[in-house]
Amino acid sequence: MFFWIIVACLTLIACLAVLLPVLRVRDSVADDSAFDLEVYQDQLAELDRDVARGVIAGTEAEQARAEIGRRILKLKAEGSTLAAKAGFGAGRIVLSVAILAVPLASWGIYAATGSPHLPSQPLHERMADNPQANPINELVARAEAHLAENPQDGRGWDVLAPIYYRNGRFVEAATAYRNAIRLLGASATREAGLGEAVAAVGGGLISEEAQAALQRALALEPDNPKARFLLALGLAQEGRTEEAQAAWLAMANDLPQDSPWRGAVAQMLGSKAEVQATPGPSQDDVDAAELMSDNERAEMIGNMVAGLDQRLRENPQDPEGWQRLIHAYTVLQRNEDARDALVRGLAALGSDSAEGAELKTFAAARGVSAAD
Amino acid sequence: MIVEAGHFALVLAFVLAVVQFAVPLIGTRTGDDRLMAVAAPVTIAGFALTALSFAALTMAYVQSDFSVVNVWENSHSLKPMLYKVTGVWGNHEGSMLLWVLILTFFGALVAWFGSNLPASLRANVLSVQGLVGAAFLLFVLATSNPFARIETPPFEGRDLNPILQDIGLAIHPPLLYLGYVGFSVCFSFAVAALIEGRIDAAWARWVRPWTLAAWVFLTGGIAMGSYWAYYELGWGGWWFWDPVENASFLPWLSGTALLHSAIVMEKRSALKIWTLLLAILTFSLSLLGTFLVRSGVLTSVHAFATDPTRGLFILFILMLFIGGSLSLFALRASSLTQGGLFQPISREGALVLNNLFLTTATATVLIGTLYPLLVEAVTGDKISVGAPFFNMTFVPLALPLLIAVPFGPLLAWKRGDLYAVTQRLYAALGGALLTVLIALFFVDGMGVLAAFGVGVATWLVLGALTDLALKAGIGSVTTAVAWRRFRGLPRSVFGTALAHLGLGLTTLGIVAVTSLDVEEIAVMKPGDTLAVANYTLRFEEMTPFQGPNFTSDKARFTYINAWGRELGEVISSKRLYTARQMPTTEAGIVTRGLSQLYVSIGDPTADGGIVVRAWWKPLVLLIWLGGLVMMIGGTVSLLDRRLRVGAPAARKAKPKVLTPAETPAQ
Repeated sequence: MFFWIIVACLTLIACLAVLLPVLRVRDSVADDSAFDLEVYQDQLAELDRDVARGVIAGTEAEQARAEIGRRILKLKAEGSTLAAKAGFGAGRIVLSVAILAVPLASWGIYAATGSPHLPSQPLHERMADNPQANPINELVARAEAHLAENPQDGRGWDVLAPIYYRNGRFVEAATAYRNAIRLLGASATREAGLGEAVAAVGGGLISEEAQAALQRALALEPDNPKARFLLALGLAQEGRTEEAQAAWLAMANDLPQDSPWRGAVAQMLGSKAEVQATPGPSQDDVDAAELMSDNERAEMIGNMVAGLDQRLRENPQDPEGWQRLIHAYTVLQRNEDARDALVRGLAALGSDSAEGAELKTFAAARGVSAAD
Repeated sequence: MIVEAGHFALVLAFVLAVVQFAVPLIGTRTGDDRLMAVAAPVTIAGFALTALSFAALTMAYVQSDFSVVNVWENSHSLKPMLYKVTGVWGNHEGSMLLWVLILTFFGALVAWFGSNLPASLRANVLSVQGLVGAAFLLFVLATSNPFARIETPPFEGRDLNPILQDIGLAIHPPLLYLGYVGFSVCFSFAVAALIEGRIDAAWARWVRPWTLAAWVFLTGGIAMGSYWAYYELGWGGWWFWDPVENASFLPWLSGTALLHSAIVMEKRSALKIWTLLLAILTFSLSLLGTFLVRSGVLTSVHAFATDPTRGLFILFILMLFIGGSLSLFALRASSLTQGGLFQPISREGALVLNNLFLTTATATVLIGTLYPLLVEAVTGDKISVGAPFFNMTFVPLALPLLIAVPFGPLLAWKRGDLYAVTQRLYAALGGALLTVLIALFFVDGMGVLAAFGVGVATWLVLGALTDLALKAGIGSVTTAVAWRRFRGLPRSVFGTALAHLGLGLTTLGIVAVTSLDVEEIAVMKPGDTLAVANYTLRFEEMTPFQGPNFTSDKARFTYINAWGRELGEVISSKRLYTARQMPTTEAGIVTRGLSQLYVSIGDPTADGGIVVRAWWKPLVLLIWLGGLVMMIGGTVSLLDRRLRVGAPAARKAKPKVLTPAETPAQ
């Protein structure tokens, strides 16, 4: 609300800036030649100062004075050039258009580009938030404290590694994965996670180290989607575009329908032309960085949804949360999960309550019903 | 919410810029006073809104609000506060916002202090300024919006490019932009004169202070950038003829020419059309520089992000303004009144000579900068035009100009006497020749050219001092009178002398460093020593160090003079910025007088040593001190009372009050 007040005030000020000079009763202005005359008189004064200081000899000063004098005479000969005022009709239209354009155009452009619903989120405020409301923070802090005391706890590292990754702390993520592998032994998930983290540290470049980790993951689980996807990305970065495309095509064919990797793979196949058109390592790196972030984003969404799901299991009295969860699952095309969420939501809120009814309507609008 | 308010303010500023362009222009076309009067308040409101928007972004950086993409990409919660603030413009989006902020700031200054301008001229100038602002605001909003948001923000940012985490980022870009964008005012004045079809006397008076202000900032920006590259990049060089450096040097060269031709126009009402063209060209070169640096055509530390859309957009802006203004010039220039004629041997003549050399030098640097790009575009070959090209073309052009500098201020307006002036410069000439001889006889291993260079520098310094001495009448009148006259000299005389003196100092520094510096490279282990010029470096130890957002290895050296006395420590280090995993080199620099000992460490070798590069750079500080003196000269000249002209009283008699134009910041 406060935001809209600010917006309104700013708009008002902007409109006034256009309107006020028009409303103000104006003195008649000096005509243009008066300004020139002022300059010439100033030049004469300056000349006098120079003469007084003795930096200009008498004859030179006389010549200069004569020259300025000629300019003044010329100015007077030209006479006044005061522009005749035009009728105010046309001006009135121009002004009206301008004053209308200020709010209309600015609100239009802002509506198209801004995010008025998003509040500012200074880091210290988010940190100071109730940890209950911010499970990731709490989890990280707890796990870090725990691991500082028991650095040999492989499970702790295992839990922390993907969280680090999600928060953009790639170096820590890679270290955590390495510790987890050292203490708990290799698994496809850990190796793939390590490969991903190492690649992220290098700005998205699938380095040899990352490749080695991803290969180990594939050896443990031949259809691990993350490892397959990133290895194919590595191929693309090396310029082996066709092999990369083949690998992604294979993924597109044999990934389960509800795999969160489908979107990323489809995107890679869609951007085929782009990848081919840009040979040379540097451009590839750039592309790779962009692609990685898409991939990251896809994974991040998956993780966020999982987090929401988890939170609703713990604290199910949250009608808005259920709606968000159902919406998220339908967007991700995980219809089974959406239906499951609806069933759980109705159980928690009571299917006969007003909130339950609202949830049912909300879900029905997205093609989800609890019946079948 | 503050972030979104900033975004909205920026959108509003864009809309106001469009109004600022269109309404006053229609007003001057139809002769409607009320429409013209809209220009000034709208300009000031536009500046206030842009400033608000900039403040909102700065706030987001200070508070590490990672829900703003721009902050997340370029900041880190552990970064020291100074770099959180400077990081605002340490990236593409933020730096363009700073560009626009400064542009609207200059517009507001014209609106504020412009009461001594004829109404139609002021309206036209602000209108052109509004068009430039609208184009760049649209660019920011459409392709480089710093206010893009993330729904679920991460908890840590990606940190700022470590090379930019330096005090230099606080000074260099703002100064440089103040310079670049300051020329936009001269441009707007030129285009406004073309639209009006006449050049007022006030026009001539106004262009010079704006040029001077922009020139002072640009000089500072370039000098600061050069010093920053010198100490931060760890290569020990201070100028690389790198295209990005050239991009800032080009407007400086043509801006210097403009500064001098504006004097002729102001004093003698000559060279009007030429000055107008120079004003257009100078800002065009500023725009070209912005395009080259921002479009990603050139890859360098300045090209924060490459995005073809942005390149195309700036190219479009470039064509609109350069093409548009030059077409207008072609259409209208012939209808403007020509200025008077004058003798070749005169102050005017000397200034024209200056202009000839400076514009030729500008063209040379422009060709050297653009040629590789053109070749690459046409044939696909990558070639590089480096220092040798510029040394062979630019230096021969600069030398005669430098030699001619001391003559200029001593020549009289209209009819000068070259022989008499030469006579008056005998002392300076003698001093210069003496320095050449001393340099030749007493310094080993120095070429004739270097001695000549030192001579030219001395000539410039002594010439500037001679100018002051002669104008005060030292030697011809009693000391008391000379002192009184010296104090009474107009500030512009001091400004000229200081600027030319600074040029001499910079030349001296350049010649000394180019011809006399000593470079040593060695692999060193703790305890090893390395002789550099008259000093000996002893490598003491390597120690690890943990900074706020980096880890570093510090190499400690002791430097010892020729007589074996230990003078102190030099610490050179390699840093690793953890968030980006990016290493940087922090050179160790010791200043001895005006000279510096520069130590930079490289990679460790297999057997436990490290590669150490050390330079002795004689008089190197003069390069930048000269720039500083030039800036002071420009500022002193700017404060000359001659540049302040009062506004005529309105015809309806009013009690005379002090107009803003009579009380600018002093």
